[in-house]
Amino acid sequence: MTVYIQQLLYRFHIEFSVRGALAILVALAAAIPLLFVVYNSLQLSTDEWANLWSSRLPELLWNTLSLAVLVGIGCMLLGVSAAWWISRRTFPGRKLAVWLMILPLTIPTYVFAHIYTSLLEEDGWLGRLWQYLFGAESVIPELYNIVGVTFVLTLAGFSYVFLLVRDALSRSQRVLDEAARVHGASPSQVFWKVNLPLLRPAIAAGLALVVLHVLSDFGAVSMLRYQTFTLSIYLQMSGRFDYQAAAGLSMVLVCLSLTFLILERFFRNRQRYYGNAQSKRFEPPAATGFETFMIWLWLGLIALLSFILPLAWMLAWSWEAWVGDLITNEFWGYVGNSLTISIMAATLTVIVALPVALYHARVRSYLSQTCLHISSIGFVLPGPVIALGILAFVLAQMPTIYGGMTVLVIAMVIRFLPLAIQSQEAAAQQLTPSIEQAARSLGAGTFENLRRIVLPILSGGMMSAWVLVFIDTLKELPATLILRPTGFDTLPVRIWIEASEEMLELAAPAALMLVIGTLPVLWLMMRSESAKRM
Amino acid sequence: MKQVINFFIATICAALFSQAVQASPLVIYSGRSDKFVKPVVKAFTEETGVKVMLHSGKSTALLNKLKLEGDRTQADIFISNDAGNLEKGSELGLFKAVSADIASTIPANYRAANNTWLGVSARARVLVMNTRAQDVEFVSSVFDLADPRLKGKLAITHSGNGSYIAGVTVYMEAAGMEKTKTWLQGMKNNVGNQVFNKHSKIVKAVASGKKSVGLVNHYYIYRHLDKNPDAPIKIVLPDQDGMGVAWNVAGAAISKYSKKSADAEKFLAFLISEKGQKLFAEVNREYPTRPGIMAAANVPAAGSYKVANVPMATLGQKRNATLDLIETVGMP
Repeated sequence: MTVYIQQLLYRFHIEFSVRGALAILVALAAAIPLLFVVYNSLQLSTDEWANLWSSRLPELLWNTLSLAVLVGIGCMLLGVSAAWWISRRTFPGRKLAVWLMILPLTIPTYVFAHIYTSLLEEDGWLGRLWQYLFGAESVIPELYNIVGVTFVLTLAGFSYVFLLVRDALSRSQRVLDEAARVHGASPSQVFWKVNLPLLRPAIAAGLALVVLHVLSDFGAVSMLRYQTFTLSIYLQMSGRFDYQAAAGLSMVLVCLSLTFLILERFFRNRQRYYGNAQSKRFEPPAATGFETFMIWLWLGLIALLSFILPLAWMLAWSWEAWVGDLITNEFWGYVGNSLTISIMAATLTVIVALPVALYHARVRSYLSQTCLHISSIGFVLPGPVIALGILAFVLAQMPTIYGGMTVLVIAMVIRFLPLAIQSQEAAAQQLTPSIEQAARSLGAGTFENLRRIVLPILSGGMMSAWVLVFIDTLKELPATLILRPTGFDTLPVRIWIEASEEMLELAAPAALMLVIGTLPVLWLMMRSESAKRM
Repeated sequence: MKQVINFFIATICAALFSQAVQASPLVIYSGRSDKFVKPVVKAFTEETGVKVMLHSGKSTALLNKLKLEGDRTQADIFISNDAGNLEKGSELGLFKAVSADIASTIPANYRAANNTWLGVSARARVLVMNTRAQDVEFVSSVFDLADPRLKGKLAITHSGNGSYIAGVTVYMEAAGMEKTKTWLQGMKNNVGNQVFNKHSKIVKAVASGKKSVGLVNHYYIYRHLDKNPDAPIKIVLPDQDGMGVAWNVAGAAISKYSKKSADAEKFLAFLISEKGQKLFAEVNREYPTRPGIMAAANVPAAGSYKVANVPMATLGQKRNATLDLIETVGMP
């Protein structure tokens, strides 16, 4: 009987396995917010859709898309140039440069927005500098427009492009450059005709990350009052209690993000390049004096705007808070809350992502693809919508867990699941079935296999997945605002509250703690990465 | 490594499976500035011994939370900075009525008709004017702000601001939809797309002479004068021979599903007690809503000027109509 069923399943290309079942379970849980959106938007009548279409959508589409394009261009310029110089030349302080390009990841978008708006005020550092340079009557530029939002989101996002492109560059091989040069190509021709095309998948992946962050960003756009889909959805829900219109807008946003994701996957799939494992690694030449100067000028400018200046601001105001004795026990409580939720969410996300990643890496079926795509919902739905979907579901189906940390953790897991799946899937590709089969033939059961073979091989991928989810949970604002247990304030929530009351000396230490809290995990990630390269 | 993993698993299990601790303190959802609420809460706990847990956020977001949570809410009290939210919550049936002897202390204009919320402190929507500015003497009504003579000289906040929306509702009620619409359009022409993010920046801009006149809540003017006593600004109470000044209240309500009604009533009673009124209103130089208690000394005394005769409950009832009007005009 069992054999018969197995044969039947086999015929339909469905391989029943524990990991398959778990993967489906995870996907079902991740689909909850999407179901909420679909259900609510189905309640919209045709008239209401038409109304939405004519009144809000054109402007929102234009605002959101133009912002995504501009931030994409900005991040590409900064990320690719920095990655290129750092991996193609050796120069003094190269390690420091890598760090400076990654550190902006520790600063959330809304902190960037808050810092730069206060720096650009008349009595802010940049405001005073501006009036000193251009006269007291000159108008200081404002950030409450598309240029300002682009500026802020570019600084907060270019590091993703940098990381991915640098990784691709470090794996690229010199033979290709040499072959091109032998055939008479100039260095610039090599760059445009050989290097850049090979970098396309990495750039595409980095840009995809950036654009998805732009589409779902809530903090910066609401501080700078720039109407994108996410902000408008939030305002519809919280200002007018109009969940259906909000769901309708979310539906459009989901379609937009999905189209974008599919396009990105399509381009990436066609651009695979397999290198020869034996070929030589690229040993970058030393930079000339002039080059070193230019490199540091450029990287220094990026670092100044994206990390050093914000850090100086945080330190200055934190000092004020310290002197004014404003750092109370409550503050350390917020730090504790933030760390607790981030550690829990990161750990759970990594565990939950494992079956989905393994299932997809091993079995290529429609079912495994579907599981993977559904689990990526966190990428395409904005935080407030995920939070509300989960809230509605929990209140209706399992009200007993409402009000505790559980709901918040579930939301974080769903929101950042795609990050964890992506990095684990990459690692899972290295796990060839023959290793597992060998272990099995030597008598190892499923769990021994998992413990002694699968997990050790995946550990690198799991590590970076953990770090990525930890960082993003630590910075997460909108879902935390909605789902946190009563009286449970995290650092982002406090920053949000203090910033809206213009309490600079209270927002700054919280922002500083976010940076400090992220440093150890970033260090861990960088260390394991450099160990890999040895 | 194994211990670390075990530790993680233990924390996760502990957090996931422990029920939300049955909240013993009185839970307050507060949409009002922490720095104004905390002193009141502290004094209340000292006086009554009732412990309080403060859950701060933005008024509208907290009202949403209350609505979605329904009978599962832990909230006992809802505090909002805006009568609009209070009335909206009342419409949604989220509050329960306060006993009549507490409610009757507050004039009927500043509480819900069915006593489901009480206004605790009031603020006035006034004009701030630069004393050295030329050609702005003609401004005596908020409707004068639409005058083309003020092009480039007017400072207003963005249309998402709660006080701004509430003000527009009052003008719409007192002067009619059409007049208000024309007024908004006139102001839009006068400011171009340059609106201010914060009321404090409006006062700053008027004080520095960059703008001549601005529309703000009264206490922002005095906050600025605290730090800069010589700033060349003055308060102008608009529409004294017309509809009067628009008021808005901050207030509190008891959650319908509160299991600690007795303590919750105690808290409201404290808010409208003489001490509570002083604490709640005076730190921000607002007007206590209980008759007979004076506001901060340098603020124009309540009763010495004309206030628009619009019940605060209207701010909730007409909120969506106001938002629609603002959106039609396309105010930045």
